[in-house]
Amino acid sequence: MAAWDLSVTVEDLGSDAPPVTLSVMSDLHVGGVILKLVEKTQMKRDWSDHALWWEQKQQWLMRTAWSLEKYGIHADARLLFMPQHKPLRLGLPNGITLRLRACFSSPVFHTVIGICRMLNIRHPEELSLLRPVEEKKKKKDKNSAEEIYDLTEVPLSSVSRPSLYNGMPAHFADSPQMEAIYKMLSVTQPPPAPEVIAKQYRPASVVDKAHINGRWLDSSRCLMQQGIQENDRLWLRFKYFAFYDIEPKYDVVRLTQLYEQARWAILLEDIDCTEEEMMLFGALQYHISKVSQSEPQMQSSSAAMDDLESALQCLEVKMEGESSSASEMLDIMTAPELNDYLKIFRPKRLTLKGYKQYWFKFQDTSISYFKSKEESIGEPIQQINLKGCEVAPDVNLAAQKFLIRLLIPAPEGMNEVYLRCENEQQYAQWMAGCRLASKGKTLADSSFQSEIQSIRSFLAMQKSNSGSHGNVPDDESINTHSLVSPRYHKKYKAKQLTPRILDAYQNVAQLSLTDAVMRFLQIWQALPDFGLSYIVVRFKGSRKDEVLGIAPNRLIRIDLGVGDVVKTWRYNNMKQWNVNWDIRQMAIEFEGNVNIAFSCVTADCKIVHEFIGGYIFMSTRSREKSDTLNEELFHKLTGGHEAL
Amino acid sequence: MDDIDAMFSDLLGEMDLLTQSLGQDTVPPESVPTISKEVNFSMDFADLNESLHELEDNDLDALMADLVADLNATEEKLQAEIQGLKVPSPPPADLPPPPIGLNTHSVSSHAAIPSSASSTSNRVSTSTSSATSPLPPPPPQAAKPTMEEIESQMKADKIKLALEKLKEAKVKKLVVKVILNDGSSKTLMVDERQSVREVLDNLFEKTHCDCNVDWSLCETYSELQLERTFEDHENLVEPLSAWTRDSENKILFQERGEKYEVFKNPQNFYLWKKDKKALKDIKDKDKEILIQENFCGTSIIVPDLEGVLHLKEDGKKAWKQRLFQLRASGIYYVPKGKTKSSRDLICFVQFDNVNVYYGKDFKNKYKAPTDFCFVLKHPQIQKDSQYIKYLCCDDAWSMNLWVTGIRIAKYGALLYSNYKTSEKKAAVSAVWTNRSTPSSSSSSTPSPTIKAKSQSQANGHVPKPQSGQDFGNVLPPPPFEVLPPPPPDPFLPPPPPPLAAKSCAKRHQPTNFPHHPQAVDNLPPPPPTPPTDDLSETPPDFLPPPPPASGFGTLPPPPPLHANSLPPPPPPASFEAMDQSLPPPPPDPGFLPPPPPQPVFTGAGAPPPPPPPPPPAAAAPAPRAAVRPTGSVRKMPPAPPARTTPSLQGGDGDFMSELMLAMQKKRGNQ
Repeated sequence: MAAWDLSVTVEDLGSDAPPVTLSVMSDLHVGGVILKLVEKTQMKRDWSDHALWWEQKQQWLMRTAWSLEKYGIHADARLLFMPQHKPLRLGLPNGITLRLRACFSSPVFHTVIGICRMLNIRHPEELSLLRPVEEKKKKKDKNSAEEIYDLTEVPLSSVSRPSLYNGMPAHFADSPQMEAIYKMLSVTQPPPAPEVIAKQYRPASVVDKAHINGRWLDSSRCLMQQGIQENDRLWLRFKYFAFYDIEPKYDVVRLTQLYEQARWAILLEDIDCTEEEMMLFGALQYHISKVSQSEPQMQSSSAAMDDLESALQCLEVKMEGESSSASEMLDIMTAPELNDYLKIFRPKRLTLKGYKQYWFKFQDTSISYFKSKEESIGEPIQQINLKGCEVAPDVNLAAQKFLIRLLIPAPEGMNEVYLRCENEQQYAQWMAGCRLASKGKTLADSSFQSEIQSIRSFLAMQKSNSGSHGNVPDDESINTHSLVSPRYHKKYKAKQLTPRILDAYQNVAQLSLTDAVMRFLQIWQALPDFGLSYIVVRFKGSRKDEVLGIAPNRLIRIDLGVGDVVKTWRYNNMKQWNVNWDIRQMAIEFEGNVNIAFSCVTADCKIVHEFIGGYIFMSTRSREKSDTLNEELFHKLTGGHEAL
Repeated sequence: MDDIDAMFSDLLGEMDLLTQSLGQDTVPPESVPTISKEVNFSMDFADLNESLHELEDNDLDALMADLVADLNATEEKLQAEIQGLKVPSPPPADLPPPPIGLNTHSVSSHAAIPSSASSTSNRVSTSTSSATSPLPPPPPQAAKPTMEEIESQMKADKIKLALEKLKEAKVKKLVVKVILNDGSSKTLMVDERQSVREVLDNLFEKTHCDCNVDWSLCETYSELQLERTFEDHENLVEPLSAWTRDSENKILFQERGEKYEVFKNPQNFYLWKKDKKALKDIKDKDKEILIQENFCGTSIIVPDLEGVLHLKEDGKKAWKQRLFQLRASGIYYVPKGKTKSSRDLICFVQFDNVNVYYGKDFKNKYKAPTDFCFVLKHPQIQKDSQYIKYLCCDDAWSMNLWVTGIRIAKYGALLYSNYKTSEKKAAVSAVWTNRSTPSSSSSSTPSPTIKAKSQSQANGHVPKPQSGQDFGNVLPPPPFEVLPPPPPDPFLPPPPPPLAAKSCAKRHQPTNFPHHPQAVDNLPPPPPTPPTDDLSETPPDFLPPPPPASGFGTLPPPPPLHANSLPPPPPPASFEAMDQSLPPPPPDPGFLPPPPPQPVFTGAGAPPPPPPPPPPAAAAPAPRAAVRPTGSVRKMPPAPPARTTPSLQGGDGDFMSELMLAMQKKRGNQ
């Protein structure tokens, strides 16, 4: 057997360096080639991560025992010797870019597993990588100033077996910088400025939404094979909307990033919701940002405490905090009250609008009023139980109008009552009392003070919004436009939004950070369009484009003209699906002799195939089976012909 | 100062009411201790206040400790008194077993006190055992002065206790007349903490029905011609309190197939667009998948309903058609000339403050297009009003779709767990009926409150994996904070256990063993509970579990009360807060064939006594209901004077008196 020359480019020698030429024989195995190569370069370093990449064939030579002959490598082969792990700029769901070393040689599915392990995200099978949407390049300078978090220094070995330290993977505990990165990963970002939202690309139609799905990388091939270069930008996103076994205790990063992805999906109208739902999402975002700023160390401590317990904690704090005399304690034990002069107005037909002043007493969940303070010992003129009532604010700061509108249920219907307060302070107290009472809670409830606080901060918000836009938003005053999609920027002024968000806020204000995030995700998941990934397809025999929606449990066919769901097929009725790779057509057979076939327009049919197979895979996960991920099964279900 | 005075006079008022009601209740022994308490109370009140003022911060802890200790002492004394007078039930641990089953009735209203007291003692006394004293005073600092955490925890517990007792004092009760299918009625006492589930269980016992999941409590509004089934988790007292006093509304006990239809045939709701035949042929496995998808994920999925409904415009007579859509967040409609896209939808109603009702005969009443109407209204609205939303569907099928869809949106996961609970209940009672054992007492057992723990107990099929033994469900594994052994011990001198066990070769015997107290969490003496657990699973040659158990409760559930002529059994679950284990109804002595419990102790080999003897104090939540069942009053509390109703029972003002006692003691020491 004759020896011949094999030239290999060694990346570490620099891009200008000429290829290293080795004299080899065809029966030399790849491991031997690498050995020779390393000897020849005479560089002393750790080569363990390096491997040979065959450029013409777009293939890694990973089987070191295979001979060159077996691989079919001849003298004309252009081989590249380089590390398998290279830096990548990874856009996270929260919009922040992270630099880290990812594996360029294993299938993307495996690469994602590695990335998620480094970031401490469980269930990496739900995520994948996609090519980012090109940003409109208006001003580069802002981009360059963008802070990039760098994780490239993390030794790969330490990632392979992460041990927890202080609740985070040990490699994050190395330095303050690393800890800052972990904080970025695990704490939600503050609400974006309205301009930032407005600037982002928003899909305007289902077809627009379909385009993004053409960008997913192929899970069964490696990054190199898909033309991804060192330092390229990729997005890491949740791809399969079947979130398995969410456990707030272990899923801090996962939950945070999931929340961020959901939040952006809502803000950019990637998923449609109603106005009421948008207000609730806004309220939750406000609450989450507030709580996560005030309590960065929430994760461990604030696991959902039940009502009583938190009440007790609060009680305790009060008792210890303020130099509490026992009578104060007694006060606390016996429900506190509010007493003040307020004005009341009960709109009735044929009455002129007129507010009358009375002495009001707020006790338990009831308001009673008397002619004057002096007469408050006797029978009240009227007592109103607020349990189950509706409370709405009617406030105009400029006009110093502080109205509480109550809709009080009675056997005959709802009675409308207006309470007029003199000033902010009074309003905040009584409003907080009314809100609690409407939910059946008394003033003694632990949430009373925080309710007052939140009402005041919303008032403050209105103040700052009515003033100039320029002032720096501190945590107390978030521009409400940051919490809703641009559609509502046009529809409502910020100060019109404030009361509506406050209204929704009262229902969520007492949630802990984790609960609020979970609630956000639940409402998101309860949206009718949740979990749908769209692809524009052409059904066999049809002459127009239609949209295929792929959901965790079903496929839907959407008529583009009407925008209606025409047909639904559920996976559990699916008998088999096939891909004809030559004509790029998917054929699916369902029970009852239902057959459909379509070609894909906005995405490769591999992507569609992978989506369907992926969801089938997701549904096979169960607690009984071991926690280890069945990678093989995933590839079987999603791999296509390459896997066979 | 004013406040305190006012409060004090309030308390006095309540005391009066209490004593009055006690008088009515024909429970003489009861009133004696109560009154004496009251006297003390009034005398020392001013002092209490003063001395409270003198207190320093750091005295607080001590105060609480004393408070609890004294409280316990008081309880004990009180119980002793009661015992001496008449009633046996809550024996201090070292007392010989009192003759139970004789007259447990009269304790009833006091049961509250001991239960909460001893429950705390359980919780607080991390280190003490109740073997010596069932109600150990919680040593605030002494026990574990090392860790601040423990201290603060204990402090929290103490406050919790205090709050609980305050709550306890104001429990509202109603006497409710429930109309059965045959037009007859049953009357029962419902306390405000009781859920519909518990009331249903209660009714199961009284009616000997088959306990299937369809049994429901319904309310009907005669004036508005509405009806709805209560959800099992709802509290019954609250909606009933909204009725006007002269209302003709009724409570019915009926089988309502639509209540849980969505879990039996989810395809009809989640795949309603498919053709009916396909839905009929759907496989059980696919049903299961549908339930999994929609009820077992992170989020509850509401069926995506959309359709044209007729809406009765506010206050107008006309019915107008609109395209409505159901979403998790409410019902929306598509405004004229707009698309169905989410962002254009107008919110019609959100579910926070409304309930959904079926309308009856609306064609006549409101000139509705069909009789398939449903209504959304605030539960408190009792008369026709513009705030009631009337909707009309084309057929019964779509009406059921909508009503069920709205219930799913409104109640979410609760609905499913309600179903799970009642399914278990039904399964359990089916087992019993098959065995043709008298089912009345057995059916009372599965705990009504849905807690993970109790579920697994109620359903014998899923015993907690534990020591590889089959009797897992008999003895819940002792959790970490192992609590003092069950108070019942002493009163059941350990008989040769194996003997006892063997002697009564009843297979289901073990199930009736007293549980470890910790299973019950804050319940002190867990009475023998779910005898209904899967009987067949327990090995016959079962060796009694660690706690010197005894054959107590091992008997085939004796038919405690067959005849309605007897005082109705106590609401088994009057202590819902206390959790699961409620004793089966105390057998009426005169009626019970099996020997009274006593023999058990004397002759170990004797056939074990009937289950009921509610071991110690709290176990005797019992026959409160029996107190005044006769008057078929629709609504017990005469008037709603804001805070108290005369039917108030329970340890009124005990917190105050405890405080007072504490202060007395304090001053005594100084």
